[in-house]
Amino acid sequence: MTQNFIRLQNVGVRFTGDMSTDGLIGWLARKRSGVSTPGTYNVEALKDVTIAIEQGERVGLVGLNGAGKSTLLKVMAGIYTPTSGIAESEGHVCPMFEFATGFEMHQTGRDNIRIRGLLLGMTPDEIEAKLPEIEDFTELGEFLAYPVRTYSAGMFIRLAFAVSTSINPEILLIDEVMGAGDLRFANKAKRRMFEFMEQGKILVFSSHNFDLLKSFCARTIWLEKGQIIMDGSTEDVIAKYESSQR
Amino acid sequence: MKHSYSSADKSRLLRDVIRSLLLHRVWFFIGMQDVKRRYRRSFIGPLWILLNLGVYVGAIGFVYGVMFGQDLKAFLPYLMLGFVTWGLISASIVDAGSVFVSAEGYIKQFSYPKQIYILRAIVSNSMNFAMGLVAVAVVQLFLGTFEFVGWLLAIPGFLLIYIALLGHTTIFAYLGTAFRDLPHALAAVLQVVFYLTPIVVPASVLKSHGMEFVYLVNPIYHLIEVVRHPILNSDLAPLSTYGFVFGYILVVYCVGWYVAWRLDKKVVFLL
Repeated sequence: MTQNFIRLQNVGVRFTGDMSTDGLIGWLARKRSGVSTPGTYNVEALKDVTIAIEQGERVGLVGLNGAGKSTLLKVMAGIYTPTSGIAESEGHVCPMFEFATGFEMHQTGRDNIRIRGLLLGMTPDEIEAKLPEIEDFTELGEFLAYPVRTYSAGMFIRLAFAVSTSINPEILLIDEVMGAGDLRFANKAKRRMFEFMEQGKILVFSSHNFDLLKSFCARTIWLEKGQIIMDGSTEDVIAKYESSQR
Repeated sequence: MKHSYSSADKSRLLRDVIRSLLLHRVWFFIGMQDVKRRYRRSFIGPLWILLNLGVYVGAIGFVYGVMFGQDLKAFLPYLMLGFVTWGLISASIVDAGSVFVSAEGYIKQFSYPKQIYILRAIVSNSMNFAMGLVAVAVVQLFLGTFEFVGWLLAIPGFLLIYIALLGHTTIFAYLGTAFRDLPHALAAVLQVVFYLTPIVVPASVLKSHGMEFVYLVNPIYHLIEVVRHPILNSDLAPLSTYGFVFGYILVVYCVGWYVAWRLDKKVVFLL
């Protein structure tokens, strides 16, 4: 049995790109008015982040919007390659980031379940075996045979949530996805999420809900402007974090 | 499975490519879903592929066949094969630019290597090709010119086409994401190339006018020939054609590897 882990060493992520997106027309307008070119943007989303998370750990992430929580999770998932430093992990990674994107709009709910399942690492047999249970959990009934472009925002969330939580995760990365669907579904989702989070051998999740963090994580990391401000026991970190925001 | 990511990592691309090929279930399924989607709610469905081909061959075949004094029995399969193979190659170039753009929702959310979306595009474009080939075989059977040996000898050609396809789709997938003007430029260029490639016009007509060079330097002509020539003539294509295709593959793989190596880590930020 291999030990799962996530290790980041001096990880930095820098977004660079061109500011202007208005093409030829914008370029001509700028030429004429003599305004200098808008240049490039250069954002350091993460700076020198070093974290080691070992098997069995559940870690919370706190920080203001734009502090780098999502970027950090995407680095752990291997979606963003660090522009400096090294990110390593051992284990099957299950990201739960966005529930509103990544659908084939013109395909049925059922086909979207299959696609999502495959992309999350399930085999076709596994998906077919779990399909009834997933369908049941979504409570979408006959709508599963409809193209998902007819779905409401809440229905997308139900579908994506049901698929994502039906896999057997080793490393579970969750980005603030607790407020799922209507009240009834939210309660149901919460129970399922808790069960699911118990299964993960490693759990990292970002949240603004301190009670949730306290009940799940012994350890919490506080990020600000892409840097780790504090990494310690959830009680301590949240106490400091809260007092700093007053 | 152990993952390691860093900007200095040199072997990441190779690992990702191998992993992508092994994930054939994923890209094949999504590719087939694309095909399904294209004909969803259409009454005739995928039969449109055949209808399309039929209309094209019916109209062009007779007009050009008579114009160039061609024997229709030989000209019709020539025209069809050229058309379906061109369709596969041009679709692989035109659609390449949107490979990553249209998979944005997946790329930003799931950890699988991006190369699976290149393979998915090739799968979804292959449906037209496969059905077109069946149509060619049927027409040949009907005309009494079907030769099993010819189809057998075309197998290396099919392999070569797909290997080449993977190469140039990779190049244009990455470049098309970084330079959004490229797909439009490619579409314009391809329109011209269509008329310069012996598809509608028999190569022999160009040759008799001393215009051989127009197609001899055109890689798409050679890519079509490695399939078309064996099927029509029950003989392998000229050695020079295979040589040209090998050369083309070598070039697109070198360029493709370089482009992917430079842009692979940046793609997600460019979406």
